[in-house]
Amino acid sequence: MARLEDIPEPTRTAVATIPCPAFETTPFVAGPPLSKRRVAIVSSAALIERGDTPFPFGSGECRALQRSANADDILISHVSINFDRAGYQRDINVVYPIDRLKHMAIDGLIGSVANTHYTIMGSTDPAAMVESADFIAAAFKADHVDAVVLAPV
Amino acid sequence: MAHMLEERGLPTTVLALVLPQVEKTRPPRALMLPFMLGRPLGEPNDSDFQRRVLLQALRLLERTDGPVILEHFPDDNPSQFDRPGWEASVTLPEPGTYADADAWESAFRDEMELVIPAWERFEARFGRTTVGLSGQSLQDWPEFAASVLRGELPTVAAHDTTALAVRFMCDDIKAMYGEAAQADGPAPSAGQIDRWFWRQTVAGQLLIALRTKAMESPNNALKTVGGRFFVPVPYLPAA
Repeated sequence: MARLEDIPEPTRTAVATIPCPAFETTPFVAGPPLSKRRVAIVSSAALIERGDTPFPFGSGECRALQRSANADDILISHVSINFDRAGYQRDINVVYPIDRLKHMAIDGLIGSVANTHYTIMGSTDPAAMVESADFIAAAFKADHVDAVVLAPV
Repeated sequence: MAHMLEERGLPTTVLALVLPQVEKTRPPRALMLPFMLGRPLGEPNDSDFQRRVLLQALRLLERTDGPVILEHFPDDNPSQFDRPGWEASVTLPEPGTYADADAWESAFRDEMELVIPAWERFEARFGRTTVGLSGQSLQDWPEFAASVLRGELPTVAAHDTTALAVRFMCDDIKAMYGEAAQADGPAPSAGQIDRWFWRQTVAGQLLIALRTKAMESPNNALKTVGGRFFVPVPYLPAA
């Protein structure tokens, strides 16, 4: 089981001790069976489409990724150099499982895949992410999304 | 973000890679994964494995015993471990020592000529490349790197500052070499690729030299970015 001890220093201490918000509420939203749900991804890998400007360091912005985008033209622009990229070099689904979701929908395991997914820069102060959370939530509701997978990097 | 989206009425499930963070933030649903940072779905090009991860995370949405649910994924991904006998898909001469920027430029350009065919095999095999952040043609990288080593502040149109231009060139160099290294055969571990790049290539040594130069720069952005975003700590030369 991993494996904080497998992460080299100083990254290990950094990720283990990064200040995290303590929330006063514990929201928990119910929904239909998984086979009826419309699923979207939020990736914190600061993904961009080839040719787009990379995410600025510390940015609280969110960017849209259309379901129809060519997955092989989606790149990581995350600022950290302390995570593996060899897996994503071979297969974008290691960080952004868009093809996996599409096949799961075909196989009836989920209801459908959202038209638009979103990406943010992980390690940004959560206080700077409120506007993006509002935007993403509104966009997902407009697209009838009722399941969100959050994928780190 | 999971908490904020759930508060706004959206059911969420988190793929988690760092247990202390999950324990502190207590998202509504999280699947704790045994994979290294950078691989939330575990194994590249293994759709069955990735589906297992995704399905277990999504099935948390059907549990009714919230408001905080945490499960653990039981299996390691196969390429987490060093592959016995692995060698990079391109054979390179051992890096030397380089007296000045011109020598670095020449050595890097010569090495790239050997790496590019393997990189092209990777592209043909996987139908993709993650090179594409630098805003420069790869043929321009050696001259650009040499310019930085001379203490100059070259720029490219795609980025606002020299610091960003160098940072993204470094990202692209690492991407190209990483892809070339794994052009053939089954996936090596991430550690195998990293050790090869940082210890057995001119490019790896060049990035270390760029970091050293950047940290001497009177340009504060270059100094900061160079110190933090060019070379991972495990591969810095001993002080």
